[in-house]
Amino acid sequence: MNRPGEILVVDDELGIREGCKRALVRGGYAVDLAEDGAVGLEKVQQKQYDLILMDLMMPGIGGLDLIKKVHDLDPEIIIVVITGYATIETAVEATKRGAYDYLPKPFAPETLMVLVKRGLEKRELRLEAQRLHDEREQRLLELAGEKSRLRTIIGCMADGVLVANLEHQLVLWNAAAVKMLRLSGVDEPGRPLASYGKTESISEALKDILASKDSGLAILSKEIRLEDPELVLMAQLAPVRDEGGTLLGAVTVLRDITQLKEIDKIKSQFVSMVAHELRAPLAAIEGWLDVVLSGAAEDDEAKKAAWLERAKERAHSLLALVNDLLVINKIEAGKVALKMESVQVADIIRKIVEFLKPEADRKALTFVDTMPAALPTVQADVQDMEKLFTNLISNAIKYNVDKGTVTLEASVDAQYVVFRVKDTGLGMAPEQLPRIFDDFFRVDDKRTSKISGTGLGLTIAKKIVDSHFGRIEVQSAIDKGSAFSIYLPYQKRTK
Amino acid sequence: MTAKAKILLVDDDLDFLEMHKAVLAKHGYEVITATSGREGLERVRTDLPDVIILDLMMEKHDAGFSFSRQIKMDPLFKKIPILMVTSVAEATGYHFTLQEDGYWMKTDDFLDKPVRPDVLLERVALLLKKKTGEAS
Repeated sequence: MNRPGEILVVDDELGIREGCKRALVRGGYAVDLAEDGAVGLEKVQQKQYDLILMDLMMPGIGGLDLIKKVHDLDPEIIIVVITGYATIETAVEATKRGAYDYLPKPFAPETLMVLVKRGLEKRELRLEAQRLHDEREQRLLELAGEKSRLRTIIGCMADGVLVANLEHQLVLWNAAAVKMLRLSGVDEPGRPLASYGKTESISEALKDILASKDSGLAILSKEIRLEDPELVLMAQLAPVRDEGGTLLGAVTVLRDITQLKEIDKIKSQFVSMVAHELRAPLAAIEGWLDVVLSGAAEDDEAKKAAWLERAKERAHSLLALVNDLLVINKIEAGKVALKMESVQVADIIRKIVEFLKPEADRKALTFVDTMPAALPTVQADVQDMEKLFTNLISNAIKYNVDKGTVTLEASVDAQYVVFRVKDTGLGMAPEQLPRIFDDFFRVDDKRTSKISGTGLGLTIAKKIVDSHFGRIEVQSAIDKGSAFSIYLPYQKRTK
Repeated sequence: MTAKAKILLVDDDLDFLEMHKAVLAKHGYEVITATSGREGLERVRTDLPDVIILDLMMEKHDAGFSFSRQIKMDPLFKKIPILMVTSVAEATGYHFTLQEDGYWMKTDDFLDKPVRPDVLLERVALLLKKKTGEAS
């Protein structure tokens, strides 16, 4: 900022105006002149002056009025009043109303210069004060903006955030934290954390982290379990320090890990189930090998071969189980992008029947195929369809009675092509039906004990149907047989 | 007497049933079999075996336990030693113990599947010896 030096002289006496101008210009100031109050006011409106020298006694707008009008425009402007002998009282009145000082006529140029210099110094101080004031206001505004930005940012976070000071008083929080911990009354911050709800576990951790006074960065992790509704939270606490390393409080970040925990539980249940399903055939294989190696068959080669054959059968079923597990894993991981194409599913079914015929012949089964010739095609993955109907038809063979029938039907409704695989076999009890699509579920009773299977065939079937946006239904009655219906969506041809 | 002792095998896994039968029969035991707890109880009543070798997990997960409980609560049969065999392992969370106060283990011995033939024979012999010792 330039040093202040813009001066306006307002006086109706030409001599005074010119005299002042001469002295001031010589002193290095920029000077404008006005012959009465009205002209003076006009100039102040057009230009910023630092100091005004004005006569109190002027026609038109008088000096006292002018002081007020000028100060309305710029309260920091320095006004020096020039006054005649008899009007000292008026001059005092003028200073009361905001004039900086007065100068009685006649005056020596030196007196004028001293007064102007002092006045301008005052002006400079006033401007500086104003500038500092404005700056401070600006800073406060920015700070307020910063604070509200911070609130907005942590307010958007899915993780809960709580900040407490050394006295465990709540100073900052977000909506997620309020929701997770079910806090109440947070619109009045500054109270102890415990007064907002059940926060014992956090208070405890807070005590620990605030007790560690050393300046090293410490983070404390803790699992918190809440009841009703059940919620598992991962709380991470870290100390908050100022620039000098002095501990101010602690920030707690809360993450809802309830679902992760649930997935973890399901995963270990599945692993334990798989482990058991793998262990049983492996134990049988090792058992048979032990028996053979122990010499229990002595020299009976046929016996030995029969036992080894049993071990081999279990190894074979174990392999089938592992393959099924891999298929399930692939479907669930979405690793196999389905190769969707227009498929005539009835053709696939007939191919599978052909393939499984030798197995069916061993039980002297009859296949009845009533599927109409002209069925709409469906968008499907051929390999998946093969796997799906192999599982269903193979079940219809395995769980059938000797000389039974496997019927293959198909029909079309508004949305779906429906394929039905019916057998005349053992059937299932109503209470077993809800579980047949569960992993490893097998209808296990005297009638089925000689039938081998992985317990995953229908699990896979259901997953395949689901991935094709279809559905699978079952009807069954003990000793009458089972019928599985597969609904696959098709697109009507627009003609 | 061991040579003609009667062993009842109860297991729904036909492989184990047959491999244990092969081992025991070769060593001169008379072997009878059952594939469920219910059938096993019938066999106990009709054949009165000297030792029972019992699978834990059959048609129901704890079929072996309820079978052994019924045997041990029956004054006529409670002296018959039971050897529990299983492939459930610790993964299921079942806690196996041979202690007297253990609610679950009302059996006389316990082995993990598969049981090696020599171990099976040794344990059966031990149980028979214990039984005859108690009887005399």
